[in-house]
Amino acid sequence: MLKAIELSKTYKSGTDEYRALNGVSVEIADDDCLAIVGKSGSGKSTLMHLLACLDAPTEGRITFDGEDVTTFSNHRLNRFRNEKFGFIFQQFYLNGRDSVIENVVLPLKIRGIGAAERRDKGLEYLRAVGLADKAQKAAKDLSGGEKQRVCIARALAGEPKIIFADEPTGNLDSVTGGMVEETLFRLNREQGIALVIVTHDDELAAKCARRIELRDGEVVAAR
Amino acid sequence: MKIKDLIVTANRNLLRNKLRTALTVMAVFVGAFTLTMTNGLGDGLKDYIETQVKNYEGNNVIFIHKKIELPEGQSKNEPAEYKEQKENEQEFDPNSFAVGLDQIDRLARDFPEVKSVSPDFQIRSEYITLDDGKKYQVQLNALARGVTQKLEAGRQIDGDNQIVLQNDIAKVFSADFQGLIGREVTIGFKGGNPPAMQTLRLTVVGVATKGFMASAFSAIDAATERKIYELQRAGSPDYGRLTTFSFEVAGNDPQVVESVKQRLDKKGFTGETIVDQSKRTYNAIGVFQIGMNMFAFVALLAASFGIINTLVIAVMERTKEIGLQKALGMGQAKVFFLFSLESILIGFWGAVSGIAGAILVGKIGNAWASKYFLESFEGYSLFAFKPAALLTIVAIICLIAFLAGVLPAFRASRLNPIEALRYE
Ligand SMILES: Nc1ncnc2c1ncn2[C@@H]1O[C@H](COP(=O)(O)OP(=O)(O)OP(=O)(O)O)[C@@H](O)[C@H]1O
Ligand SMILES: [Mg+2]
Repeated sequence: MLKAIELSKTYKSGTDEYRALNGVSVEIADDDCLAIVGKSGSGKSTLMHLLACLDAPTEGRITFDGEDVTTFSNHRLNRFRNEKFGFIFQQFYLNGRDSVIENVVLPLKIRGIGAAERRDKGLEYLRAVGLADKAQKAAKDLSGGEKQRVCIARALAGEPKIIFADEPTGNLDSVTGGMVEETLFRLNREQGIALVIVTHDDELAAKCARRIELRDGEVVAAR
Repeated sequence: MKIKDLIVTANRNLLRNKLRTALTVMAVFVGAFTLTMTNGLGDGLKDYIETQVKNYEGNNVIFIHKKIELPEGQSKNEPAEYKEQKENEQEFDPNSFAVGLDQIDRLARDFPEVKSVSPDFQIRSEYITLDDGKKYQVQLNALARGVTQKLEAGRQIDGDNQIVLQNDIAKVFSADFQGLIGREVTIGFKGGNPPAMQTLRLTVVGVATKGFMASAFSAIDAATERKIYELQRAGSPDYGRLTTFSFEVAGNDPQVVESVKQRLDKKGFTGETIVDQSKRTYNAIGVFQIGMNMFAFVALLAASFGIINTLVIAVMERTKEIGLQKALGMGQAKVFFLFSLESILIGFWGAVSGIAGAILVGKIGNAWASKYFLESFEGYSLFAFKPAALLTIVAIICLIAFLAGVLPAFRASRLNPIEALRYE
């Protein structure tokens, strides 16, 4: 489904150049579960941002179902990301004063879906992460694990093809982290949503069907 | 994002920091309040002039005075240069506004379309009384031929020894205006040589409507005015020399009136109809109004810096949120629009509350003014608030607020999502 060919990314600041990624190729199939591992600074987040079309590669191409994403207009790219991708970050980026459900339906709101339909879908995905009873609570009143599950519900609400998760359990203790992992893998199994998980937790990576390891911006191992 | 959702979101964002929003709105409030008040004052004055002017009618009457031409390059601050008057009696004195009666007649002969000429004789009267009762001070003046005035009772002057009483004098004579018509009043004035008090009996033919301009004098017929003038001025050096006079143009063609005015101008005279005169006052008020509004715009300028400040801080505070929204596919234009809406809403609420406050204060001011110093100015309100003007004020303030928000909104829209998400 998503194919990255010979991706390179060079960060420039003034005269300094830093090649964070060097000729990385990855392919993500329809119900894939891919872990990206590596040491800090190895380029994991950079690769994920490129795959998720949040940033443009310096070299290389990314195609989705055969179409070259790098040729998309800004408008089309925004719509494309909104419809095909879901995001989970190490930080939650929740709007603390808004209710849980308001946070969950954000991708649908951005897509321009009406309030009633948004509400139904939001509740549906809150149920999927086991938080339907907390829908009206202010997001800031939840525990860390609950917050991350709200983020999963938010990623799901847009009914994406791929969920990108950058260190999804990095801020959680092992028990709540385990619950979050469990939820993600279940969605991958049951609904066939592809997962791309950036982590330096080897245990988590081991639970994924495939993994690639980066070092200094290059793939050094793949399984 | 749908427009409705954007508006709801913008409102919610503003309410997230109620105190800051309220303070920024307050600044706009002050500007909106001032603008509404100053503009309302100007509109009130304009309304007043309009109603006053309607008390006199005469579209084909031109009021004329001589121009004193300043030589080119000479500013009005310098003393006027004296010019030698030529021996020829027909020449107008270049140093004076005064025009001789004979000169007026000769001038009128150059205008075949002029039906009648009314020199504006200035007379002094002492008192007016009915049935030898109490004497009241009065100013008398004949209306220019062709001019009519609005009446409460009776008819316009149409013969000799007639008077149309001004409203306040008629009121002290009798509450029944109709009953006054046909009665005789006595007027007293000083005349003759040496001056001595003399009286004349005039028949009341009408009572004028109320109004500021209409309460300045009572109208008498031209022949009576002339008679008093002769008694008061015959033999004095300025006898027969006037500063203003009027032409009544035959027919009712505004183009003819216009051409007479233009030709008068070429001959060194300024001619104005009643409408021209009121327009001049109207324009003067307009300039005054713009000047006053400038003060309000200074306040709004200050307020717009408040808006800029509020938005710059909001963009900083919400950098991560913007990053997320952009990652989730919200376009640049929508982000820009969202922040612009927030600034426009600040402007909008400031404008609406400012206008509401101004109307409240204006109503109180009107009530107070009509009680204390505008009693005789009936039908006049100090502040006039017109829906069209109020809507314009709202629109202008929203526009100012939008412009104030452009820079921060643009900055928000240009944020890079990854960097914004990383922002600490
Ligand atoms: N915007 C940027 N400008 C300059 N250099 C950058 C930028 N983003 C990342 N880098 C550099 O690129 C390299 C790879 O960064 P990246 O964030 O991809 O690492 P990572 O593998 O995700 O590390 P971590 O596990 O700590 O999150 C780092 O050395 C980082 O300093
Ligand atoms: Mg990283």
